[in-house]
Amino acid sequence: MGKVSDYAFINAKLRARIGIIRTETVIDDMIKAPTLSEAVAKLDGTRFSALAEIYRATGDLQQVELALVSNEIASYREVASYLEDRGKAFINVLLEKVEIDNLKNALRIWYSSAIRGHQINSRSPYIEKRLIVHPIDYDKILNASSFSQVVHSLQGTPYHDVARQFADKDFSSMGLFPLEIALDHLWFDQLGKAEAALSSEDRKIASAIFSTDVDLKNILFIVRYRFYYNISAETLDRILLPYGTIGKEAKKLGTMSDDEMMARLKRIVSYRYPEIVQEIESIRAMADDLTRQQENAMQILKIENYLARTREKEYSRLLFGNPFSIGVVLAYFFISRQQDSLIQAVLSAKYYNWEEGRIREALHI
Amino acid sequence: MSIFTEKMKMLTAVVMETDRDAVVKALLAKGVMEFVRMDFLPADKMARLSGHSSSVPRAVLTDMRVRIETLMREAGIDLPDLESVDIGDLPPLDMESNRRLLDRVSGSLQSVRNSQKELNTEINEISELLRYQREGKMEYLDLRVGRITHSTASELLSRLSQIGGIFLFSSEPYISLTLKRDSQRVSDVMDKFGWTESTDSEEQKAALDEAVGKARADIEEKKRQLEELSHTAAGKIAGRKDELSSMWVNVRIHELCEHVESKFSYTKNTTLFSGWVPADRQDEVERTIYESSSGRCIIEWTDASDLPREEVPVMMTSPKILNPFRRMVDNYSTPEYGSIDPTPFTAVAYLAMFALMFADLGQGFILLLAGIIGTIYYKKNPLKKDGIISRYLCNLLLYLGPASMIGGILFGSCFGLPVFPALWFEYEAVVAGTATEGLITTIYDILGITIKFGIVIIYLGLVLNWINLVRKKRFFELVFDKNGIMGGLIYTLGIWFAFGFVGSGYRTFPSASWFAPILIASLIVLFLKGPVGYIIAKKNGKAEGGIGHLVVDTIMDFVVQVLEIFSGFLSNTLSFMRVAGLGIAHASLMSAFYQMAEMPGNTVAYIAIALIGNVLVIVLEGLSAGIQSLRLNYYEFFTKYFTGKGIAFEPVSFKSRIVAD
Repeated sequence: MGKVSDYAFINAKLRARIGIIRTETVIDDMIKAPTLSEAVAKLDGTRFSALAEIYRATGDLQQVELALVSNEIASYREVASYLEDRGKAFINVLLEKVEIDNLKNALRIWYSSAIRGHQINSRSPYIEKRLIVHPIDYDKILNASSFSQVVHSLQGTPYHDVARQFADKDFSSMGLFPLEIALDHLWFDQLGKAEAALSSEDRKIASAIFSTDVDLKNILFIVRYRFYYNISAETLDRILLPYGTIGKEAKKLGTMSDDEMMARLKRIVSYRYPEIVQEIESIRAMADDLTRQQENAMQILKIENYLARTREKEYSRLLFGNPFSIGVVLAYFFISRQQDSLIQAVLSAKYYNWEEGRIREALHI
Repeated sequence: MSIFTEKMKMLTAVVMETDRDAVVKALLAKGVMEFVRMDFLPADKMARLSGHSSSVPRAVLTDMRVRIETLMREAGIDLPDLESVDIGDLPPLDMESNRRLLDRVSGSLQSVRNSQKELNTEINEISELLRYQREGKMEYLDLRVGRITHSTASELLSRLSQIGGIFLFSSEPYISLTLKRDSQRVSDVMDKFGWTESTDSEEQKAALDEAVGKARADIEEKKRQLEELSHTAAGKIAGRKDELSSMWVNVRIHELCEHVESKFSYTKNTTLFSGWVPADRQDEVERTIYESSSGRCIIEWTDASDLPREEVPVMMTSPKILNPFRRMVDNYSTPEYGSIDPTPFTAVAYLAMFALMFADLGQGFILLLAGIIGTIYYKKNPLKKDGIISRYLCNLLLYLGPASMIGGILFGSCFGLPVFPALWFEYEAVVAGTATEGLITTIYDILGITIKFGIVIIYLGLVLNWINLVRKKRFFELVFDKNGIMGGLIYTLGIWFAFGFVGSGYRTFPSASWFAPILIASLIVLFLKGPVGYIIAKKNGKAEGGIGHLVVDTIMDFVVQVLEIFSGFLSNTLSFMRVAGLGIAHASLMSAFYQMAEMPGNTVAYIAIALIGNVLVIVLEGLSAGIQSLRLNYYEFFTKYFTGKGIAFEPVSFKSRIVAD
């Protein structure tokens, strides 16, 4: 089938939905609401009204968040059902990201129970246990007494090979961080393969979007782990995603000494993302009495904000591009996920009785 | 009723500051005035007046009103009808005490939600145990049956409850059903109480059923409590219904007054305000101001004709019965002040088009029935949100149904079957090629009818445009515009020519001695548009550019104008063939469904297929006919006379939807 027949229907459908999302004032109304219950009531009459009903029936925000995850999964599946095979396979990989996030949550709960010895009964019911993409036995993970049982629960999924490289002893020193990084690597590998299978124009769009994502994720890794945890250049090299400008360059620098490698990476970041470097430098210029930790936390915040702004711009640009491409689909998922995250964030803020101004400042709204 | 938009008058009034509140409330109760800022006063005079300063900003009032509405909606409390409220009796607005009350109501609601959350968490925990038992995942469960040697069962129960699980400790042997992942914690507690596991296999076997039974009973009980709490939440607000309702009335009226007064100007002791009023309500408004200010007022009226037309708000004059069609017009734009109200013409054109495309007595009756049922349903459920079949659609169906039924009578069609003789011609027979008698026997005849219908609609549009231009005294456009007299004349020539050609069986072009001179004369007049316009502009001192500029402009304008007239009118006219197209599709689809219904050869299948066919045709064809009728109105009819340069008249009343700026 041609591009027009592939994307005509889904383009019209998603653009209509994007139009509705963009004209909604629900986030603003929720922020203005003085209490959590009143904020939830603002969801009535919007596409989130089912969430308000769940809250009214249970008073439980975690139940609402679980419903948001289910909605997100349903949305990926629905869009995939309207696409041809290559597009469907690509969306499936995007859905795997939701699955990996869900798996990470389950692993964190398991870690809390099996390694830390904490009670998890009030947290375990809020994991999405139904099939997302691969048949993961979440019950087995949540009830596993050792990591080998966790590995067993992942049999028949691509995560099994990743998980079996780890053992219980690995978690006592580094926590779940290496496993989570390994899962991220796996997902970006899958994404790369799915991208390669797309048509040339779709591939160009997807790779432009995701290579910036990878770059910024790698910059976050460098700032967070190299400076914060002071890990060696060699370990950092293992952590960095081998995609995008930063990842590819880092691979080339593999044999260099720690200091040399960091200096080169800094140069690459300044060349490719000068704005980030400027913003990071402005932190020290504005306050020179910060501790190393405070400075690092602010750096991470600046990078995350930059990432959010860049994504916003790129996805908005996609909407003005070729309508008969994967662009509108990616933009829709971004906008809809952004909306879901904002709703989640506002509800949490209301739960902790944050003032309107503080919420706006934190969410940059 | 006039076919033109309502005549408007501008009121300017001065009242004493002490009477301001009473005057505003009286005018709000009347709800016939659109207030405007007094920008027409010279700047030096405006500088002497002061603007409105409010004790409570409107945005604050709006936020509070929205908050009250949110809480009222949460308990299913309807908003009071402001028109039935005695606004003279309102207590002073105390924002602080209102806020305190709202905080109290909201706080008690939140505390109920928190209790619900605790219950829900407990339900989730027990559900996990039950699910494992149900799915046979016994390896995740830890069932213990035994007795204790130290302390008391209630003490043990209280310690185990912190871990979570199902515990039956009312009689020995004691039963504990927990998750295996908690077994170490459970053992640690039980060891302190000297727990001895029962070795009786019968006790062990019975224990699981007992524990599961208790778990189920616990869940049921907790769900009941959860449900009860959710009613309690609504009840907590409902208990404050009267306070909330009167607070809402007070805040809403202050909000409306703030909206109106924000447009007022003030001297030390007087208030000046201005606004538009329909001319036929002039006396009524004057009397209202006079009475509410006890005669301490100065009122001045300005006729709309003394002000620029584009500043005058437009109020349509069409009767309420035509509201569904008014909405179609509003959706397109607002007509200019003093021009023809398009609503009645739209109603006639839309219904005629729909009847030609969807002519069926039976199916039209179904549409009418759907409209009646929907209207009654929405009337009974005023708070119900619009579904796919919205209130507006139900209202429209009340017109479309009868239109379709009339079409069905004209063409002898009922559910796609020729069950009675047609008043005009049998549409189905013509489409099937079996019609032999009468003037209409082929599909080309049907196409011809719709083209003629289109020509009538286009001429009607042109005539309405000429009337509008005469009323607006735009004689230059009346003569030279493509939708003016010259455009109409060339269109007439085109129609004569086309009909002559078709009449000859597409063999020869018609000829007449008057044809060429009239056409050339019309084209010359069109060519003169540029020079004449230039002379007029020069006379008014508005001419721009030199002769070279004029020549280029004239030639370009002429070419574009001629192309627009020839291609535009041709495509506008042929566009009406879609009326025939949809009518033919309707007849063909029905015929196809009946042929399919006959294929299985049994009555039940016949009825089922015929029924499905009718439903599909009603939904799909009905929708298509509705959309195409709208499209023809918007693109072929409105473009001829409807400039849409007006601004809608929006009087402020208790029913207004005013929000914060």
